Order: sequence, then C-alpha cells, then structure tokens
Amino acid sequence: MLSYFVRRLLVALPTLLGVTFIVFSIVRVLPGDPAQAMAGVHATQDYIERVRKELGLDLPIHVQYVRFLRGLLRGDLGRSIRTGLPVAQEVWTRFLPTLELTAASLFLTLVVGVLVGILSATKPYSLYDHASMFLSLAGLSLPVFWLGLMLMLLFSVRLGWLPAAGRGGLRHLVLPALTLAASSVALVARFTRSTLLEVLRQEYITTARAKGVRESRAILVHALRNALIPIVTIVGLRFGALLSGAVLTETVFAWPGVGRLVVDSVSARDYPVIQGTVLVIAACFVFINLAVDLLYGVINPRIRYD
Amino acid sequence: MPSLGPWFLRAFRGLAFLGLLGVWGWNSVFGGPALNNLVIGATQEPDQLNPWEGAADTKENILALLFIGLTYFDVHGNLLPGLATEVPTFANGRLRVFYDEQGRFLRQEVDWTLREDAYWSDGTPITTADVLFTFEVQNHPLIPVTFRTFSNKIQEIIVKDAKNFTIVYKEPNPFYANPSGRIGLARFYDIAPKHIWEPIFREAIREAEAQPEKAAEIITAKFLGADPATGRDPTKVVGSGPFKFAEWVKNQYLRVVRRPDFFLRPPGPMENYVQEVIVRFIIHEPTLLAALFAGELDATDDIALSGYDPTILAAQGGGMFRVEVIPSGFIEMLNFNHFGHPRYGEEGCALARDLLLHDVRTRQAIILAIDREALAAAVFPGAIVSNSFVVRGDVGYNPDLIQWPYDPERARALLAELGWKDTDGNGILDRITPDGRKVEFRLPHVTTPAPFRVRTQELLVEYLAEVGIKLEPTNLPAAVLFSTEFINRGSLCTWPGIIEYAAGGGIGEVPADEISGELWADDPTTPEPLDNVPRRANAFAGSNVRGWVHEEYDRLHFAALNEFDLAKRAEIIKKMQVIVNWELPFIPLYERVEIMMSKVGLANYLAGAAITRTPFWNAWMWGWVERGAVRVY
Repeated sequence: MLSYFVRRLLVALPTLLGVTFIVFSIVRVLPGDPAQAMAGVHATQDYIERVRKELGLDLPIHVQYVRFLRGLLRGDLGRSIRTGLPVAQEVWTRFLPTLELTAASLFLTLVVGVLVGILSATKPYSLYDHASMFLSLAGLSLPVFWLGLMLMLLFSVRLGWLPAAGRGGLRHLVLPALTLAASSVALVARFTRSTLLEVLRQEYITTARAKGVRESRAILVHALRNALIPIVTIVGLRFGALLSGAVLTETVFAWPGVGRLVVDSVSARDYPVIQGTVLVIAACFVFINLAVDLLYGVINPRIRYD
Repeated sequence: MPSLGPWFLRAFRGLAFLGLLGVWGWNSVFGGPALNNLVIGATQEPDQLNPWEGAADTKENILALLFIGLTYFDVHGNLLPGLATEVPTFANGRLRVFYDEQGRFLRQEVDWTLREDAYWSDGTPITTADVLFTFEVQNHPLIPVTFRTFSNKIQEIIVKDAKNFTIVYKEPNPFYANPSGRIGLARFYDIAPKHIWEPIFREAIREAEAQPEKAAEIITAKFLGADPATGRDPTKVVGSGPFKFAEWVKNQYLRVVRRPDFFLRPPGPMENYVQEVIVRFIIHEPTLLAALFAGELDATDDIALSGYDPTILAAQGGGMFRVEVIPSGFIEMLNFNHFGHPRYGEEGCALARDLLLHDVRTRQAIILAIDREALAAAVFPGAIVSNSFVVRGDVGYNPDLIQWPYDPERARALLAELGWKDTDGNGILDRITPDGRKVEFRLPHVTTPAPFRVRTQELLVEYLAEVGIKLEPTNLPAAVLFSTEFINRGSLCTWPGIIEYAAGGGIGEVPADEISGELWADDPTTPEPLDNVPRRANAFAGSNVRGWVHEEYDRLHFAALNEFDLAKRAEIIKKMQVIVNWELPFIPLYERVEIMMSKVGLANYLAGAAITRTPFWNAWMWGWVERGAVRVY
C-alpha cells in the first residue's frame, strides 16, 4: 500500500508538471497574446511591447517556462498585476473559503446522495423512489444561479432561517453548500440507486439472505461495499465539478472564494493570479483522484496495489 | 422487496435533525438596534483607501467614515467647518483676493485654522505639518492623483504655527473651501496623516526613481497599495473622521468603530448612536436585496440600487424600510475615445481613428440613432433625458440647448456623408481608410456589469444596428473600469470606442464642475500642452480621459473657474454647455435618480447635498431611534 502510494505520488509529479505546462500555455494560446490581453485589446504596439518586457514575455518560451517553474519550486507564483500582492498570498486567502464550501458540498453529496440512493434502491418503484428520483432529476436540471436565488428567497427572505450572503459560521455555509451540491447529490443518488439495484440482484446477496443475514446487513455490508467503487469514482470526479461550480455559487452568495477571484482576475487581465489559481485547483483535483484510487483498496481488499 | 428496517430510517431522520439543530444553534442577530450597530450593503468594493487617488463612490463613502475634510456640506447645501474652526469668507476676513490697478488678478489668500481638538484616530494631533505633506504628495509627478486642477492653482502654503496656515493661490479658486479636492490638497477629505504616510511615500519614490522603467508598478504596489490604504495592518489605517478603522475582510466587509474623541457630536449621549458600522460588499444586486429583506442589512448605500424601481422596492419592503428617491447630481453618459484625432498622431488610438470618433458628425449620428426617451424609461425608472453636462435645477443649467431627437434617418445621412456604406450587404457599414484598408463600423462599448447598464448595452446594440453600426459590448468590474490603469489609458486604446459611466453634473456645488472639469484639456497658464489629458507624456495623469480638446471650451472653463461672482459664473457655464451640446464629446443619456433603502428606525441616514448625494456625510449622527438617537433631519 505504502509503495503504491509513493509510486502514485511519483506518477502524480509528471501529471502536475503537465498541468503547469497547460496552465502556463493557457495565457500563450489566447488570441493576440498575453501582453496584448493585459494591455487592452486595442493597445498600441509600443505599450504592448513594454508590458511584454515587464512580464518577461519577450524571452524565448522555454526560458519563460523554466523561470515559471523555478518560481513555482520556491513557492513564488509571481505578483498580482492588480494589487501588487504575491499571488500565493492572494490565492491562499481565497482558497480556504472555497475549500470550505466544496468540502461541505462534498459531504452533502456523499451523505445525502448515497442515503437517498440506498433508500430508493431498497424501495424501487415506490412513491418514495419516484419522488426522490424526480427531485434528483430536478437537481440535475436546475441552473445553479436560479436555484441559489430561490433557496435564498425561501430560507432567508421568507422564513428568515438562514443568512442570504457572505461567509461566517455554519449558518452561512448551508445555502451555498446546498446549491452547489444539488446536482452532485442528484447524480450520486441516481447512480447509487442503479448500482445498488444491480448488486442486489446478484446471487451472493440471495445466498446471504437465505443464510438468515439481516436485511440491513445484507444491504449495507454485502451489497453496498461492492456498489461503492463506482460511486466513489463518481464522487471523486464530481469534486472537480464542485470546484468549478463554486464560481457561480460564490457570486450568487457573495462567498469570498477563489471562484470570485478567478472572475475578478479575468476581468482585470490579472494573468499571474489566474495561473496560480488554476494551478492550485488542478493540483487539488490530482490529489483527490489519488485519494480515490487509494480508497478502492480500503473498500474492496481484493484490490491489490502491487 | 428488500427493506432496511426502521433503525436506518431513524438514523437518517436523526442525522437530519442534528444538522438542523447545529444550523439553528448559531446566533441569528446580524446588527441593527439590538447591537447598536449599522450594517450597510454596497455593490462596489474599493481596491484601496489611498486618499489622493480614485473616483469610485464606495471609496468616497468609506473614507467618509474614517476622514473628515476641512469643510463639509450639510443636507441643505450649507458649507460647514469640519477640521477647520470656521469656513473662510470675505466677511470673516479669512478670504482675500488681490488685484492690480488694472483689475487683473494677483493672488488669493485663504486663512485656515485647524481645530485644537482635532486628532488622528491614533491620538496624534492634526497639524499644519500634515497639510504640507499632503500637498507635497498631491504635487509629486510620480503619484497618479485623480486631478491637479486645484492644486496647480496653489502658489504656496504658508505655515504660521501648528494650527494656522494660509493657502496662497496664484489663480482664482472660487471653490477654495469646497470638499472633494477643490481646496487643492488631497482628492478625498483634504488632509492625510504625515506620520503614517511619509516613510512609505519616501521609500516608494526612492525606489521608483531608481527604476524609472518600473515606476508605475512600484508606485501601485508600494504607495497606492500600502498598508494604510489596504488595512493589512489595521493600526496603519489612521483617519480624522468619526470612526476608527477596525478590519477589512476583502470581498466581505469593512468594519469601523466609533471614536469617542471625535469633535463633532450628535445630540444627547454618544452611546445612543451606532457604535459600529459594517459595510458589506455584495456585488450581486439580487443577493444584496435578498440580504436586505432578510434583515442582514440595515441600509443600502447610494449606489447599490441604481436602476431599480422604487415603487416595487417599497412594496417588497413591506413597510419595514424607508425608500428614498433622490434627484441625482449624476448624468449617465456614453464617452467617446477622441484619441484618434490627428493631433495625437502615432500616440493616438488607431481604432478610434478608423471609426472617425473624433469627427463631430460621427458623434451626432450616434446620438440621433438612439431613442434616449425609450432607453431611459426602460433602464432607469424616473430618469430624465439629458442634453447637457449640468443637471436641471442647478443655477448653471442652460435650458436653451438642442434637444437631440431620435432620428435614425438623419443619423444615416451623416454617416453616409463621412463615407460609410454597407458595400458587402452584411448590415454593417464600412469604409476605405486613407491608407487603403477596409474597416467596418464595429464600435466597442465598455461599462460596469450593473444590470441597468447591461440592459442599456442591449438596447444600444439594437438602435445602432438600425443605422449600420455594430456595437460590441463588454463589461468590467467597477474596480477595473475606473482604475487609472484602464480609464486613463484611452490613448493606448484600452477602451477604443465608448466607455459608459455617470459623472456629477451639479447640485450643491454650483455651477457643476465635475464633468466640466473632465472636459478641459489645456491650461493656458502652464507650459505643458494638454495638461489634463492622460498620456504617456504626463504619466497618464489628468481627468480628461476622453481626450477631447476644444480651445474655446478651455477658455470658458478657466474663465468660470476664475469668476467669484456666482451669477456671472453661471452665465459662462451656460455658454460651455452650448459647445458641449453641439460637439458631443460624450452623449448624455439621462439624469439619474438614486435610490436608498434604510430601516425605518434608523435616524439621520439620508442623502447629502454634495454632488455624490452620499448619505455618509454625517456618519457621527447615525443612530437607532429605539436606542435613543434623536432625529435631526
């Protein structure tokens, strides 16, 4: 297990290197060029050249990339063009709120999504099953900004139960987390239901029941464990969707996270901040997927890592 | 059918119950009379709080909590002393104007005395040393201040002692005692604390002079964005106003606490008035409204609800809120990039040149192509179409101007006169430039993402398409749009077509000076050409961001600024309006109305008389009636 973990970490390094290359290239493949974009779409050539020189963009591309990597190794992501602050500082202060929101949404996705899926699978084609599957379809279909505003109107304005905007304690987290998690909960619920239904039809479950194993144990221990691997895969992949979905949710709920930072930075042509933010998000995604791979072994001991 | 049994469902319900309990367990009190504080919602957040530079209204509002100028306007437009002991006038002998035997102006002297009980929020006395330092920064060529219109008039500042000084103007300054930088010191609230800013200023200048190729970047990072302006170190944010800086959580809120030692006091015990003010930054307007109706906010600032229908807001507020509709001092306008004019040569903006925006006929065609009546009614309920740079009701307003109609036929004719025609039948006009290039009339338009402006863009796209102009709308956050890096670099084509925003057109400061101050180009008394036009040559300083130049306008502008007699000054302003009305350096769309909402129990929170109509003019008087605050207004 440990050696597998180390090997995966080593494999993750080239992946991350690839990510740095892609992130670095993003600015270079934009129409015009980064200096042009930063100076303004119709800026004069003279001004563009000055910006290019100030940013070191006049150097050969491989030299720029090596400089970028060197800075990265030192933890130096450059300075924000807009504020003059180190990018690492800008991203870090904004990343924590996003992580908080994403983690809460992931928690909801796992707990609610899996529970609803289990209940649906154990009572297929019942009223509960139809209702929960209808709701999950709605969760998948509703646009985030609309759902957010509706939840806000209901729980903040009408009922006065929860705050509408900003970041504070647990109460502030509820509505944005619900909004962000809605589609993931729906997806995981539907996926859990179908996978579990499939597993419940297997002969070893019938055998377990015939041997007198309690129904709850047959489902939660015998069936769910085998159904979990695809569910965990889906949840891992949804993490990326949650991080990217945070952009809209953060805007609607005035959540001071990295999503808003990206939007503001794109508007301000603040490329060092965009690079830094995307890089951190991508790194998170890589590590979450590594964690998911490691979880396979925990869920199903028959999976060997050697 | 398989069943999980009742224990599983019980566990599920239990989990949900615990979750709800956890959520409800938190204190649900946000602010208001219960905590004797005030939570104000704002849709803009300033980048920094440097008192020398900036135009965004939220910055001016927040600084009003932390600073007070030498003077301020009360709600009736009366000028009252702030840091000064009294407002200088001819009558009290503090204002003196000297002329030679031929009646030519020689100099103007204004005596100021700082209050003995005026202290910075860290307890340091406010003295004339602060005045001199503020003036030094204001005049330093490497510091990109918002304008030097008034500081350029100052010949010298004579310090008599720690509290008394005289400003000697080499040109007449009829606005010698007005707020908002008119005295010639800092743009915001006149005086900055020397003991805080001086070491930062000296270090930034030293570095910038050592690396001139990076001077702008160094000044941005080391001076404009230094700790006293950003609050990274709260102890460095030191002001002269009624509240003391406490914290600024970027993208969330800024909090200030009442200063018990502030010299202006509300009636009755100070404890009866709000002890803490929190400005919450909620960029998304529907979210701000939801927060307001949910009770998380006690009031909105004077910008947040622009363009909303006050009747609907009042109905939604259900009697809990007071909705104040204020005839605004602001005119919403479409500003053209004039840097395509041949006078700018290679330094100018090529796209603006290709579109012939410097030709008056282009601008006239565009105003004729827009149905401004319909547009105003659609995007800003209550707004009135404008044809001037002064608002109605101001003593300087000229009612005898061309009322530009909606006339697309005339617009097409003017464009045809300029050589524009749709040769390829794609619905977009094109023409051949003198150097043989074919250009299409694709007109970039940039503004903030405020819903009423986005709606304006949608309508403009339709109107201009009718005459063959393809409007290309984009949106930038206010913090970006109004940054000097963007708006002051029109000569570098950062915005090559139209930039839309609102600027002050009067009320309280007659005759209006804000827009007229943005239109003048050249000060005839200085050797530098085009002093007020931001270009590389002047480090992009100046407020004439459009680059429009008109000699007669400049002459009248300076004549108005040099005229102490209000009636005569108003006549000059009327002539200036005739020029602008024909030349259209910008298209005035409509006079705005501002809308503010506040809880009914909040006392003395009302629009002021200054151009911005800011409700932050008397923050020391804000209080809750339930807590014993007295309504003064």
